[in-house]
Amino acid sequence: MMRMILTLLAVLGLLAAPVAAQDGPLRIEITEGVIEPMPVAVPDFVVGDGAAREYASRIARVVADDLSGTGLFREIPREAFISPITSFSSPVQFADWKAINAQALVSGAVEIGQDGRLVVKFRLYDVFAGQELGEGLRFASAPEGWRRMAHKVADAVYTRITGEGPYFDSRVAFVAETGPKNARRKRLAVMDYDGANVRYLTGGDDIVLAPRFSPDGEKILFTSYSSGFPRIYLMDVASLDLRALEEQPGSMSFAPRFGPDGRTVVYSMTRGGTTDIYTLDIDSGTTRRLTRSPSIDTAPSFSPDGTRIVFESDRSGSQQLYIMSLDGGSPERISFGQGRYGTPVWSPRGDLIAFTKQSKGRFHIGVMRLDGSEERLLTASFLDEGPTWSPNGRVIMFTRESQGADGQASLYSVDITGRNLKRMRTETGASDPSWSPLLR
Amino acid sequence: MHAGHYISGAGHLGLIGWLLWGGGFAPTPEPFEVSEVAVISSEEYAALTTPEPVPQAAPQPAAPSPPEDTDTPPERPTADADAPPARDDPEAAQPGTPDRAPDVSGLQRPAPAEADDSSPQRPAAPPESATLAPDTSDRPTPRPAPRVAPQPVAPPEPDARVDEVRQEERTPDEGADTPAEPQEATAPEAAATEIVTEAEEASAAAPRTSLRPRARPAAPQAVAEAPQDDAADEADPIRAALEEALGGADEPAPSAAQPSDAPAGPPLSQGERDALRVAVQNCWNVGSLSSAALATTVVVGVSMGRDGRPDVGSVRLIGSEGGSGEAVNRAFEAARRAIIVCGSSGYDLPEDKYERWRDIEMTFNPEKMRIK
Repeated sequence: MMRMILTLLAVLGLLAAPVAAQDGPLRIEITEGVIEPMPVAVPDFVVGDGAAREYASRIARVVADDLSGTGLFREIPREAFISPITSFSSPVQFADWKAINAQALVSGAVEIGQDGRLVVKFRLYDVFAGQELGEGLRFASAPEGWRRMAHKVADAVYTRITGEGPYFDSRVAFVAETGPKNARRKRLAVMDYDGANVRYLTGGDDIVLAPRFSPDGEKILFTSYSSGFPRIYLMDVASLDLRALEEQPGSMSFAPRFGPDGRTVVYSMTRGGTTDIYTLDIDSGTTRRLTRSPSIDTAPSFSPDGTRIVFESDRSGSQQLYIMSLDGGSPERISFGQGRYGTPVWSPRGDLIAFTKQSKGRFHIGVMRLDGSEERLLTASFLDEGPTWSPNGRVIMFTRESQGADGQASLYSVDITGRNLKRMRTETGASDPSWSPLLR
Repeated sequence: MHAGHYISGAGHLGLIGWLLWGGGFAPTPEPFEVSEVAVISSEEYAALTTPEPVPQAAPQPAAPSPPEDTDTPPERPTADADAPPARDDPEAAQPGTPDRAPDVSGLQRPAPAEADDSSPQRPAAPPESATLAPDTSDRPTPRPAPRVAPQPVAPPEPDARVDEVRQEERTPDEGADTPAEPQEATAPEAAATEIVTEAEEASAAAPRTSLRPRARPAAPQAVAEAPQDDAADEADPIRAALEEALGGADEPAPSAAQPSDAPAGPPLSQGERDALRVAVQNCWNVGSLSSAALATTVVVGVSMGRDGRPDVGSVRLIGSEGGSGEAVNRAFEAARRAIIVCGSSGYDLPEDKYERWRDIEMTFNPEKMRIK
């Protein structure tokens, strides 16, 4: 009996099926999109105080430059604006911004607070959705720090739209180069990530190489020939205090790099005809030898978790990349392509290795997975070398040197997609960049 | 004897007699020329018997020498550059040295050219021999295209000026009461659909385009979705009926609860679905998304108006796959922008099938657009 009832109900259900079949929404799948910069409008910030007037347009300018410089955004020229924003609190006339195809709008205001500090606040809008993206933010600092506040605003906008981590509020240490190739003067220098606020740390009397920021951005490791041989030095960026880290007679130490704890340094040392990789505890001065081979092992770089290093070695007959654990074990080769690989640097995200590759007479900057797969060459030129990662792991900066006796070294950056290759603005020739972490 | 015989005999005798004696066989006299003959001397005779010189062929003219350049270029230094230059210096000659015999070669009469009346011989043809084909050959020159079109064609439409705002070209209508101001057509710049790094850029010598036929586009998956939906929807009432019969269903099926929502009209054709998909993907900009957001698939629901415009407030996230909360939000916002931006002027959808597309679920799958 029950079976008959169920069968009857099933038949009734089938009769109702045509109606139910039309009840669902239309479904489509989008699998291909476009890759283009997002149009963004950054009008001058509203002046809340007459004394802050000079900063209103400056800050907006830096924010727009930061966003446009990523290659992910395209600034809409201000001449196209239909209506200016005169009040930070007034409702936004989205129709006016839609009309000029602004998909994102940055509205901000500046004023000088009671304590004399500069206060910057902003809001970000999705114009076509007609709503605000996230909560508005407010920053305050001394007026001299207006550029940093502009970078922080840009970082917040960049992060909210893309989902990537911020990187505008950071600095770059590099070697400033002046003079001809055969008599080049090299000085350590630090600048904002966009080339502003250059500050020289050494005088140029000695050859200096390969500065590397500490994880907190307050110290710099570098190699100097002040003693006639390469030696590793530690400099405090604020006080310029200098300290030699490794002095062993009859040895040469170079290629230092901080570990993620900020206390451990990994470096190369040549002694007794072999070049191996060592670690050094800065506080205690104890060293530990990591590699033991007759080959040249150099250019080590820590993984973000501090448990492994990647380095270059010619133990296989040609210069290749290897990863080894700090706990021991034999190194594992990860590069197998044609050509020579060098100067590996572990991504802050931990998922990629950036490297320099020399193949068929040209140099490349590339990235690969930790197992050597998905190798992608991002650049190609006469001489590209020395990559360094942005704090968010999205951009790589490197040295590009032009050909010829008058060739000059310059800093370039490129997105890890291979797009947005651009030259950094520096007062002089520049090489050996090291990107700092985000400033605090 | 007839008289006729006599007459005939007499006539023949007379004719024979005339031929014999009348001079009928006498030869015709030859014409006769008369000239004067005189005695000549031996010198005149020798002169008459000496053969006349054969007319000489003109000697081969010497190749014209180039005019002397007054600005004589300096001589290329050689190994004998240090040796004194040879010159005809009379003072340098040794006294008593006999003069050299003058060179009269230039004065001697050139040898007469031999005249030959025979026909010139054809140069011998080179012997035929088999040769290997060259390794390379010149590419055949393509046939030039006709410069003049056989039929006049209309000039192509001018490109729209690049601008942020997309607007149609408008020309004033003279017949209108209030003529509109002329307006130039503008459109935003076209977007790229793939990433080409500097290292991957093709060299200038490489062909820019490939003659390979394009790959056949993947079959739209929407075709397979309809039967699946039908099957699923068919299964639902059965399940609902069964559950209801078994007392396990707390709520009635949605279809039963909203019978008035049943769409009318035929379903959208595949072309109409594809048109909507292409329209949305033209605005789905993944260039500003993070790697994590590019690894996230989101399903976005939207309600549409009869004019084909999306209801901005109805755009909602239905589901996601493959990303964290932050990445899902960024992926959803990019999808929402795509739906709203490209639908701001209304999607081209058949109004008579409005009930079919009043509610749409769009799955944004960025697998092909990921950073690899």
